[in-house]
Amino acid sequence: MYNLVMKDLKLGVNPMFFLLPILMGALMLVPGWLYFLVPLYFCWITIPNMFAGFRTQNDLIFTTMMPVSRKDIVKARVFVIVILEILHLVIAMIYGMITIRLYPHLIYYFFAPHMGFWGLCFVMFAIFNLVFVPMYYKTAYKYGGATISSITAAMLFAGVAQWLGIQNSFLSDTFKGTGVDNMALQITILIAGIVIYIAFTMIAYRIAVKRFLKVEII
Amino acid sequence: MLALDIRNVNKQYPSFQLKDISFQLEKGYIMGFIGANGAGKTTTIKSILNMIHTDSGEVHILGRNIAEYELELKQEIGCAFGGNDFYNRSKMKTLTDVIKKFYKNWNDETYANYLRRFKLDENKKIAELSTGMKVKYSLALALSHGAKLLVLDEPTSGLDPVARDDLLDIFQELVVDGEISILFSTHITSDLEKCADYITFIENGKIIASSEKDEFKESYRLLNGAESQLNQVKERLISYKINSFGFTGLIHSRDFEPTFDIKATIPSLEEFMIYFAKKEDTHV
Repeated sequence: MYNLVMKDLKLGVNPMFFLLPILMGALMLVPGWLYFLVPLYFCWITIPNMFAGFRTQNDLIFTTMMPVSRKDIVKARVFVIVILEILHLVIAMIYGMITIRLYPHLIYYFFAPHMGFWGLCFVMFAIFNLVFVPMYYKTAYKYGGATISSITAAMLFAGVAQWLGIQNSFLSDTFKGTGVDNMALQITILIAGIVIYIAFTMIAYRIAVKRFLKVEII
Repeated sequence: MLALDIRNVNKQYPSFQLKDISFQLEKGYIMGFIGANGAGKTTTIKSILNMIHTDSGEVHILGRNIAEYELELKQEIGCAFGGNDFYNRSKMKTLTDVIKKFYKNWNDETYANYLRRFKLDENKKIAELSTGMKVKYSLALALSHGAKLLVLDEPTSGLDPVARDDLLDIFQELVVDGEISILFSTHITSDLEKCADYITFIENGKIIASSEKDEFKESYRLLNGAESQLNQVKERLISYKINSFGFTGLIHSRDFEPTFDIKATIPSLEEFMIYFAKKEDTHV
C-alpha cells in the first residue's frame, strides 16, 4: 500500500497539484467571498487532470503487472485523494485564519471561515468522494462521468447549505453570527464534518473495491 | 516441473471467445506463442496474469494457482507488453526507483549489470528509448527481481532485424541455466524458427497445436501439385491456394499418403499460419 502511494506521489501526480492548494487557498483572502468555491477548485482542476494523467500513462496496466492486490490499488488511490483534499482544506484554513484577523469588522453575506464552515467543507468532500470513487472504479479509467456527477453532488450540497445559511436565522447565527464565538459548538460541527468525511470515504472505498475486482484490465 | 500450466481456459466475449485453451511450458524452455492479429494471444496472456477474469479453467504457474497465489507469483513473473508505454516522460531511473520497492528479491547489482550489458543509460527518459531498448529495459527490470517466468507480449514486434536477433540471443542465454522460462507471443514466425523450443499456435481463440518445434512442423506437410491432382487430396487439405502452376495446400501428416505422387515438404511456420488462417476464412 505504502509503495503504491509513493508510486502515485512520485510518478502519477504532477507536483503542480501539490502547489495548487497554496495558490487556490489564497482566494480565501478575498473578503466576504463565497468560500465554498475555494476547496471546489480541487474537484474542478486536480481531479480531472490527475485522472487524465493516470489514463494516458497507462497507469492501470502498469500497476496491475506488479505484485499488488486490487484492494490495495484502490486503497492507495483513495489515500492519495485524501492527502490532496486535506492539503487543500488545511492550507485554506490557514488562509482563513489570516482573513479573519485581516478584516475583523467585515459583515459576511456568505459563510465566514470559522471552524463550523470547515466542517461543512469536509461534508462537501465526503459527498464528492462517495460519488466519485465508486463511479470511477466501475471501469478504473473513465473519469468523465464520475467527475461531472461528483462535482454536481458536491456543488448541490454547497449551494443548499449556503442558501440555508442565508435564509435560516439559526444557521446564519451559527456560522456567522454569535455562534462563531461558541468554541464548543464550532469544534463539534468541525468534528462531525470530519467524522462524516471519514465514514463516507470508507464506504466509497469499499464499494469501489467490490467494483474494481470485476474490472477486466484491457 | 512445469513453469506454466494452462488448463481448459474459456472466456466469452460478445464477438470473440477463447475456447478451451490448454497448454504447458516445461521449466527452462522458450515457448513461442503464435497466431494472427486478433487470434487471442494477448487475451490468453492477460488471463495468465489474472488481469481478465476467465469463465472457467485454471492457470498454474510454477506449480501454484495464479488465482490463489497472485501476489506471490507476480514476484516471480516478469512481463513486458510490446507497444505499451508507462510514464514515458519519466526517467528510467525514477521509474526503476518506484518499481523496485515492490519486489522482495530486487537486486541492485544485477540491475546495474543488465543496464551495462544492454547499454541502457538510466538518465534517459522512456520516450527517448528505441523500441528495442524498451524491451531490454523491461527485461532488465524482470531479471533484477529474479523473475523465473517471463511473459512477453510481442517483444520483437517493431524491432529491426539486428535488434531482433540480439534479443533472441539474449532469450537463449537466459534459459541456459534451466531456471528461467519464457513465453513470448509474436506473429513474426522467423523469431520462433531461431529460438523457440516449443510452439503453441492459436487461431480464432482455439489452440490448434502445442508441441516441440520440430515435432510441430513434422506433423504437417505442404503439398505442391498440378491442378489436376487437387481433387485427389482436396477433401483432406486444411486449406489450399491455386495459382498458375497448380496448387499449394497444407495437410496433416497423418492424412498424407506417399502414394499420392505429389511433392510434399515440411512447411515453415509462416506457411503454417497462412494456411490455417485461410481455413478459418473459408469457414466463415
